Amino acid sequence: MTTLNSKTPEGELSEKWTKYKASQKLVNPANKRKLDVIVVGTGLAGSSAAASLGALGFNVKIFCISDSPRRAHSIAAQGGINAAKNYQNDGDSVERLFYDTIKGGDYRAREANVYRLAEVSNSIIDQCVAQGVPFARDYSGMLDNRSFGGAQVSRTFYAKGQTGQQLLLGAYSALSKEIKAGTVKMYERREMMDLVLVDNQARGIITRNLQNGEIERWSAHAVVIATGGYGNVYFLSTNAMNCNGSAAIQCYKRGAYFANPCYVQIHPTCIPVHGEYQSKLTLMSESLRNDGRIWVPKKIEDAQAIREGRLKPTEIAEQDRDYYLERRYPAFGNLVPRDIASRAAKERCDAGYGVGAGFAVYLDFKTAIERLGRDKIHERYGNLFQMYEKIVDVDPYENPMMIYPAVHYTMGGLWVDYELQTTIPGLFATGEANFSDHGANRLGASALMQGLADGYFVLPYTMQNFLSDKIHQPRISVESQEFENAEKAVKEKIEKIISIKGEKTVDSLQRELGHIMWEYVGMGRNAENLKKAIPLLSDLRKKFWSNVRVVGDTTSMNPELEKAIRLADHIELAEVMAKDALQREESCGGHYREEFVTEEGEAKRDDENFKFVGVWEYKGEGQDPIMHKEELNYEFIKVQQRNYK
Amino acid sequence: MKLIQFASITKKMALAAFGLFLLLFLPVHLGINLCLLREDGGEWYRNASHFMGTNYIVKVFEIVLMASVLLHIIIAILLTIENFLARPVKYKVKSKTKTKTGSKYMIITGVVIACFLVLHFINFYFVKLDLIEGKYTAEIEKIDKHFQQKALKLQKGELNEKEQAQLMAQYQAISQVSQEKMDMSQKNLVNLSKEEVKLYCGEDFEEYEPDFYVMSQDLFSNRLYSIIYIFVFVILGLHLSHAIKSIAQTFGLNHNKYNYAIELVANSYAILIPIGFALIPIWIMYIK
Amino acid sequence: MDFTLKIWRQENANAKGRFETYKINDISPDCSFLEMLDILNESLVNKLSHPVCFDNDCREGICGMCGLYINGHPHGPDQAITTCQLHMRKFKDKETIVIEPWRAKPFPIIRDLVVDRTALDKIIQEGGYVSVTTGGIPDGNAIPIPKYKADQAMDSASCIGCGACVAACKNASAMLFVSAKVTQLSLLPQGKPESSIRVQKMVAKMDELGFGNCTNTYACEAECPKEIKCSNIAKMNREFLFAKVCTEENI
Repeated sequence: MTTLNSKTPEGELSEKWTKYKASQKLVNPANKRKLDVIVVGTGLAGSSAAASLGALGFNVKIFCISDSPRRAHSIAAQGGINAAKNYQNDGDSVERLFYDTIKGGDYRAREANVYRLAEVSNSIIDQCVAQGVPFARDYSGMLDNRSFGGAQVSRTFYAKGQTGQQLLLGAYSALSKEIKAGTVKMYERREMMDLVLVDNQARGIITRNLQNGEIERWSAHAVVIATGGYGNVYFLSTNAMNCNGSAAIQCYKRGAYFANPCYVQIHPTCIPVHGEYQSKLTLMSESLRNDGRIWVPKKIEDAQAIREGRLKPTEIAEQDRDYYLERRYPAFGNLVPRDIASRAAKERCDAGYGVGAGFAVYLDFKTAIERLGRDKIHERYGNLFQMYEKIVDVDPYENPMMIYPAVHYTMGGLWVDYELQTTIPGLFATGEANFSDHGANRLGASALMQGLADGYFVLPYTMQNFLSDKIHQPRISVESQEFENAEKAVKEKIEKIISIKGEKTVDSLQRELGHIMWEYVGMGRNAENLKKAIPLLSDLRKKFWSNVRVVGDTTSMNPELEKAIRLADHIELAEVMAKDALQREESCGGHYREEFVTEEGEAKRDDENFKFVGVWEYKGEGQDPIMHKEELNYEFIKVQQRNYK
Repeated sequence: MKLIQFASITKKMALAAFGLFLLLFLPVHLGINLCLLREDGGEWYRNASHFMGTNYIVKVFEIVLMASVLLHIIIAILLTIENFLARPVKYKVKSKTKTKTGSKYMIITGVVIACFLVLHFINFYFVKLDLIEGKYTAEIEKIDKHFQQKALKLQKGELNEKEQAQLMAQYQAISQVSQEKMDMSQKNLVNLSKEEVKLYCGEDFEEYEPDFYVMSQDLFSNRLYSIIYIFVFVILGLHLSHAIKSIAQTFGLNHNKYNYAIELVANSYAILIPIGFALIPIWIMYIK
Repeated sequence: MDFTLKIWRQENANAKGRFETYKINDISPDCSFLEMLDILNESLVNKLSHPVCFDNDCREGICGMCGLYINGHPHGPDQAITTCQLHMRKFKDKETIVIEPWRAKPFPIIRDLVVDRTALDKIIQEGGYVSVTTGGIPDGNAIPIPKYKADQAMDSASCIGCGACVAACKNASAMLFVSAKVTQLSLLPQGKPESSIRVQKMVAKMDELGFGNCTNTYACEAECPKEIKCSNIAKMNREFLFAKVCTEENI
């Protein structure tokens, strides 16, 4: 059994990364050409890693699920990217960014990793500027900053409301340069189907060509998983349609441990669900909470009347409105962290005060418009208001917006050590796909930072350290028995799915999965519900394998089949999530157990018993996975209760 | 598919450059045409035509101009074919994207203009090149002077027999000249064929050249021709409405500070030039 | 709301395509266009026929994956949106909606409404980047960039690479796409050193891939979901002319 060794270097926190870089092993340029790396996923983490490794001289193959790396969902990040540049002279520093990230993550992240993240954050900004990313600038021509939740300094760099897009296009351009140079080979419209191990080392992958259904084998000396998060287990989330946790689950089933699957971030400001047919939820930037006030009717009969369309929100008098965030958290008001705002909205709606279809609260700009004028609001949020109007067909200048929380980001993922290597040698995980540096809750504008930090500045070092031992390892043929077996298994699985020819469409099962997860493993969890969810999920798994209907064939483009394969993986992932949520008998960050609350109804963390990473090991089909613990030792930071009152 | 091995932008710039040269010529041509509106029996117009037909600098420009016309047309046709091939399968529903009419139908308006150009060349330019016979005018005063010179020679006995016979024929022809060939002012003989000019003026009379004034008067007195002419200039207006802005865009002259000026010049040009041309048949048909 | 859909169906790049007509009923006006297609597909699966393939991903108008030619408009009849942001309330009840794939020689059909747009990536690979490698770069604030230039570069950079400009252009030209990248990078000091060679290479690649020639109809600008302006094309023409005439860097 692999033991969990985080391989954190010794020494002072601020010295660790420098020391690591100084003592790591390198590969000389002539040997780099002989070493192959596979990168799966082309988002910020994948593209930046592939580009950087390619530039170093390694042979990189990168696999993209869409037609172009620029489609990856990193592109949808709106707000910005954090860095401890302290350009504003407001007291920011690497230490402060480190501290904010640890605190925001509710003290459930590994100190050394987070410190390194804060340390390289500055280089990311420099790198992106050099790539031609048009960050916002002030009139002096210097980079501009804005402030974001969970921090007392302005350290967020942004490019309009499209920071993720610009950073991804920067990484994409770096990748394009390497593709042109021939160091990176790009394979588009491919989905990873399995990981291939040779002598217990990750040596390749099996992919399915989504254009013609061909199953293909690829070998390498190391594999990087950069396939993002698994929020789509909930069916309705702010994730893109193609986002999935399949690749991570394949690695998990091949022996990589899966960490903290229960940590899911719910974003409070999304446009509410409007019908059964809805396919995804749209996020409205967190920045709206700077000026918008969140409320529901004070009287339950008013809420009832609104739901039935007898009353308009504008007709409710000021004294009949319940600004519940301002009431409960007078110090932070509408700007409490995401998890708290989300839970408060759910609490009100569950109590019967919800508006819209019952699952929405108002985000009102009336006072802000009165105070600042319509033009100022337009200048600040014009594009968001327009987006809202396009979707909901209601003018948010005249009527309050309706919002509701939605699944947004998954902090959990493949367990990695300080080198971002999983428990399988040669298998690395980066970006949202690893269990990351965000602990139990991620701060705004930190996801972009982590993806790029890993890709540009961590993996090129740590992978080199790993690969330096492999220079004598020859390239292996994809004709070997291991590849043969893996391909056979993939083909059998696909055949099996397509030959079920049952009654249930993939979408209906997916919705069912989403429903179970949202009801029982959603924002507020309790032991009773979680215990209910586990048998429901195994029923669903049986239903899938006996009654799913996938039309079409395996040898041409077939989105139904793609969705079915992912769904099979998502059901397994859901089961681990439920188990992890059940074992974690505390409330922390995105994981909220209704049994563990303070007297004031706030999340109650249990540092005594749960200050560890829950790491799950797959034990085979039909077997219960086992959980290992990676204890978190805070040597440099004092663990405190989060307080936003 | 590339029919011409140049970068697309190079081709587009060439098309624009030749177009631009044509744009510069149009006002010159219009200026000459507007002389038709003067009630001077075609004096200015004839002088202008004479200048255009004989000046050497103009002749050089004429070659450049004709080359521009040809290249403008050839490049436009090749580009259109290339562009057609860039979308081998067409849409079932025609594009409903809002674009300026002029820009959408450049090739069609271009073809109409080219067809008219052929007609125009037959009517005028080929006449000038002496490929087609035109109409001539002879000034009675000049004929008289020439005739008298010859008569003097005859008296001195300097003419041989053949020349004497010619002189007789000339004398007879002039005395029998029909009323319709005399213009109102009795100053000129008009609407002559080349043969008749030779007959009236004698073989050795060198100064005769086609009379474009008479020819244009003739053409514009044809109502059908005038209507076609006006129609073509409406089409030209459409073509021009896109032309100048497009040239500016092609050469990268697009700047927020000056776009308004470019727009103004482009629109005035596209309106005024065709109006100017169309004014002539309208004048001749309805006002004169 | 009820609709009649005429959808282009084609099994693969070499198959002969055809329009098929589907009736779809009881669609909420709040339903998005792609959700309407999801509903259609679910009903097709229930009838054991193959669902309509169409590209889509983020469904919030930023990834550029979706792209349908709807009733004569790329991304449908609304302004400044992608197909996924189009809602059924923009159509009339009982309307017939014709859905076609992007049509252009460099965009071969993969299946039904899915086309291969990797040609756009190939153009970017020719030079749509600043040739820096990771690390060894100056501080982000080392070179000040005037705000208006940074803002202009951002406007050009907001292209999502959906290909609507190509689909809208009567000549299937990719000039707006190419010019947006050329302009973004030539406005920024970081992109300047390579600007002459970049514009030539990218234009050459665009021509080689079989895109048509620009005739300045501005249909691209009218249909661009991110409202990228044709002034980018003018700027690229300027760059191109300068590169050809005034520099020695010829390709």
